[in-house]
Amino acid sequence: MTETARSPHRTDHLLSVPKAIVRHGSHTLADVADLRIEPGRALTIVGESGSGKSVLAHALMGTLPTELTAEGSMSIGPTRFDLADRRGRRHLWGRELALLPQEPSLALDPTMRVRQQVAEGAYGWRPRDAAALRLADERLDHFGLANAGSAYPHTLSGGMAQRVAYAAATIGGASILIVDEPSKGLDANALELLARLLDDHLAQGGLLLMITHDLRLARRIGGTVMVMRAATVVESGPAEEVLTTPAHDYTRQLVAADPANWSFPWMRRATASASGAEPGVPALVSAHSIAKTYGDRTLFNDVDIEIRAGERWAITGPSGVGKTTLGNVLLRLTSADRGTVVHAPGTGDGRLQKLYQDPGLSFPRRVSLQRALRDVMRRYEVPEARVHALLAKVGLSPSILQRRPTEVSGGELQRIAIVRAMLPRPALLFADEATSRLDLASQQATMDILMSELDEIGCALLMVTHDRAMASAVADRQLSLEVQP
Amino acid sequence: MRSRRTGLAVVLARRSAQGLGVAVLVSLLCFLVVRRLPGDAAYRIAAGRYGYDLVDQEAADAVRDELGLDRPAWQQLGSWLADALQLDFGRSLVTSRPVLDEVGYYLVGTLQLAAASLALAILLGGAVGVLAARRPGGVLDRIATGWVAGVRAVPPFLLGLLLVVVFSAQLGLLPAVGHGSASSIVLPALTLGVSLSGLIARVTRDAVVEVGQSDYVRFAHTKGLAERWVLLRHVVRNAAVVLVPYLGVQAVILIEGVVVVESLFAWQGLGHALVHAVFWRDVPVLQATALALALLIVTINTLVDLAVLWLDPRPRRLEAPA
Repeated sequence: MTETARSPHRTDHLLSVPKAIVRHGSHTLADVADLRIEPGRALTIVGESGSGKSVLAHALMGTLPTELTAEGSMSIGPTRFDLADRRGRRHLWGRELALLPQEPSLALDPTMRVRQQVAEGAYGWRPRDAAALRLADERLDHFGLANAGSAYPHTLSGGMAQRVAYAAATIGGASILIVDEPSKGLDANALELLARLLDDHLAQGGLLLMITHDLRLARRIGGTVMVMRAATVVESGPAEEVLTTPAHDYTRQLVAADPANWSFPWMRRATASASGAEPGVPALVSAHSIAKTYGDRTLFNDVDIEIRAGERWAITGPSGVGKTTLGNVLLRLTSADRGTVVHAPGTGDGRLQKLYQDPGLSFPRRVSLQRALRDVMRRYEVPEARVHALLAKVGLSPSILQRRPTEVSGGELQRIAIVRAMLPRPALLFADEATSRLDLASQQATMDILMSELDEIGCALLMVTHDRAMASAVADRQLSLEVQP
Repeated sequence: MRSRRTGLAVVLARRSAQGLGVAVLVSLLCFLVVRRLPGDAAYRIAAGRYGYDLVDQEAADAVRDELGLDRPAWQQLGSWLADALQLDFGRSLVTSRPVLDEVGYYLVGTLQLAAASLALAILLGGAVGVLAARRPGGVLDRIATGWVAGVRAVPPFLLGLLLVVVFSAQLGLLPAVGHGSASSIVLPALTLGVSLSGLIARVTRDAVVEVGQSDYVRFAHTKGLAERWVLLRHVVRNAAVVLVPYLGVQAVILIEGVVVVESLFAWQGLGHALVHAVFWRDVPVLQATALALALLIVTINTLVDLAVLWLDPRPRRLEAPA
């Protein structure tokens, strides 16, 4: 037993789930039958948030929150497990069944050095286990993190934290790996490094179940793709087939919602001429050699940028790198440590607007939306008719304004935030990850609404996003921030 | 690592400055308060020396002359401060022993009592908190909530009396008062420790529940780490990051409790000395005792800062990164 468990991957086993149902009270969150994962071939479940893909993974792992109940069974090789029995699979954790958590930077203990956190996942770990520490160093070295062993998690970038978490999850030699939304907040480079690790796992005969809403990653990993919507599977098959020629309407919508597949009248990709700064157009905001530091961490240094009327800029980079801070400095919502930011005459009086990542935080919670908007209308002397016209454009009826911000969905609230930002007829809009909390379909609809409006009034855009595909779909000029040493 | 070392320097520099400021302020306040006390100080001091029955106006005048009590207030304060800067705190007006010796003796008593009761409070409160956190809303949790409320509702002097009634008067197990034998610390330490344990239990419970729901504890579980190692390696340390700064806040309550409990049990500590010094108008002892208590609070907070620095490597930013 010890020998088999210690060898990294067994190739003869198959994971099958004849039936799995997850419920919250009487509400069914996931209801799936006949799921099979073979060695060396990934199973990827895609779908929008709330489709039940993540709870399904946790039901298999045995890590569902206590308020959810699971029924059904799962077999690993000849051994059968009852999904309702939460503790029944605990002895498999780390040895046979591993989970790469959703937010790797939160999944690492902030008070413990990385090496220790990786080592404690090793098979038969004991405190002060020198062999486990050596193994941890080997694994970290293998993942290109040789120097990270003695670091604390807060010093790691998102991609590094993910590879550390990967090392910690797999050091025990588990053959079944469950990966939950691995692409959150990762840039393309870090994502490719992760994809290679998953490739290696599969090449060694490992079993992989991946949960993601990132269709590019699903295509990159290949294997079988299952599309989930409202707790059930609507379509499944080989990745290339399902994602290229979807049979189900919902899959088609999903594929079309990927920024890489967007096609809208406001897009300028064909006319790439905008990239050369036209001398005749005045700069709205010009910043010269600005720098900003938080504590002993340099966010950016010596950045020069000039945003001209009608331009579309995207600031990209991994999460936590200072993109939002740079945007705030350019709007002079935060001061720079060094350098100058100049706003052109005529950009005062609400003509520089910001759209926040979480619309819920940018509206007063206990006040109706009507009152929140009326303050802006009074300030900029906007006639009621314009508000109604804008609401109609974003597909909302004026009656929605009677409600409070907590009584509308995130997508609806962000559209109302767009209406509010448009009221002063801005010359420049700063959209700070404005759609990152929405699922792909709502993201697509919201960006279409926003960009159509900006295009119509000739407003410039400064967007902050970690999604490079979205940046290239929307912006004509990009500024990429990297993690400073 | 570099940031941790600068963190250490910052803590020490800040707390030293605070210690100095507190020392000056406490001395000044103490002096003013004593001046405002009713009655003739010289008469009280003479009474302290010779006993109330043997005191007359003549003896009081002699004391006044000897100690220069008729000098202007600012002169008396100035000369005390100047001496204090050279660590010369003078002699007790009553016993004529050097104040430094006397306060040193009482300080040891207070440190013993404070350390014993703090250790007891952490042990008791920590255990109750961790047990309550195992199942939030469960039976143990509700019993713990009752315990916390009960302990908080009973003031230390009442709790002390209750313990004396039960353990000394009824059971005859422990001495009620005194400072001689090892067993005489049990009741005062228990009184203070139990009083402090209530809030510690509450904070521990909330911290352990919060940490237990964190992503890193879940991940530690799915890594295959045994329950007890998850608790020892991840939960305890991260809960301590929350709990330890809270102990610094509790220091004030601890010192306040020390004064009451020491008087109640006749424990030879700073609180006991302070009360007697007030009674006898023994200004040098009073000043030095208050100073020692104030510096004790600063010291406890310094130790707390250093402990947090050691526990949590993350830099403390004034501004959150956007």
